[in-house]
Amino acid sequence: MSNPYRILGLVLCLAGAVLTPLFYFLVGSQPLTAVSISSIMLGFTSLAISNARPYISPEACQMLLATGTENIAALLEELGLRNRAVYLPSSMQNGFMRAIIPFVEGDIPFDSQHKLPRRLIVRYGKNSDSVAIAVTTPGNVCVKMLDTIPGPTASDIESALTYILTGMLDIADSVSMKEAGSNIEVEVRGVKMHESNAWFYQCIGSPVASIAAAITSEALGKPVQIKEEKSSKGDTRQRIVLEVKD
Amino acid sequence: MRIYNRLIIYLALAFSVVNSVLAFAGQRDVQVYFILDLMAYLIITLLYVYLNPRARGALTAVNAVFFTGFGVIVVLKIINIIKP
Repeated sequence: MSNPYRILGLVLCLAGAVLTPLFYFLVGSQPLTAVSISSIMLGFTSLAISNARPYISPEACQMLLATGTENIAALLEELGLRNRAVYLPSSMQNGFMRAIIPFVEGDIPFDSQHKLPRRLIVRYGKNSDSVAIAVTTPGNVCVKMLDTIPGPTASDIESALTYILTGMLDIADSVSMKEAGSNIEVEVRGVKMHESNAWFYQCIGSPVASIAAAITSEALGKPVQIKEEKSSKGDTRQRIVLEVKD
Repeated sequence: MRIYNRLIIYLALAFSVVNSVLAFAGQRDVQVYFILDLMAYLIITLLYVYLNPRARGALTAVNAVFFTGFGVIVVLKIINIIKP
């Protein structure tokens, strides 16, 4: 019963149900009757919205997120890895989605024929030094929330990103996206989630960038790397440049 | 501001504007108020396509209930017109 939308909905519905006959039959005022009918409509909307509230508290979600982040950060720090992660589509990994953090920096060609095994340390190319650790990121988990995988056009990816960031997670106000050669520029406005663990986010990217990279990678069916991430306007506007790798 | 709070605020504003304008215009029919409020409601909720699927599903059910109310009003009006 602690859900504020449910409380608001019940109060508005009850007030509307009591006041509508009172205003219509006793007072005889049509405008006031209309206001009480509007109150019922608003109440039902609020009750409908209350369904979207998570069953577990935000504090519990924060605890689970922090646990996962701290564990991966500890692993990365222990291995001394600072390279940026490459987000791979599920088609390159036997159906599951993860990002790989290469041990060696630089452009190493991917072996598209070779599907990555579901292991922590994986070999992703033909060269002897093309070894990486594969981790599940916030972005990879978010791709599973999509009903269908978006098409490869910028507008399809933008719609999917808006759906996840604005509608599902409610951590941003709006998303715009444009293609610039092999790069994709994403601008996210009204960002409400800010990173704290510098090492972890240097490799994986911020949660918003991670989601953008994972969805873009899955939509294009190609590896994607976060090339640049910049925050402005008091960290509420985020500009992310994604590099699509062949 | 959360997307759900924005939806509630926009709906409340739309209802206030519609009801105030009709009241100042001297409208005396409650059905007209209801139909215009419903139109504003349907337009605003349709604009929120990116809502959580659970909320979206529940809102669709609420839309269906209100639309049934609109249907009842239309049927009553038709009966009034064709009644000898």
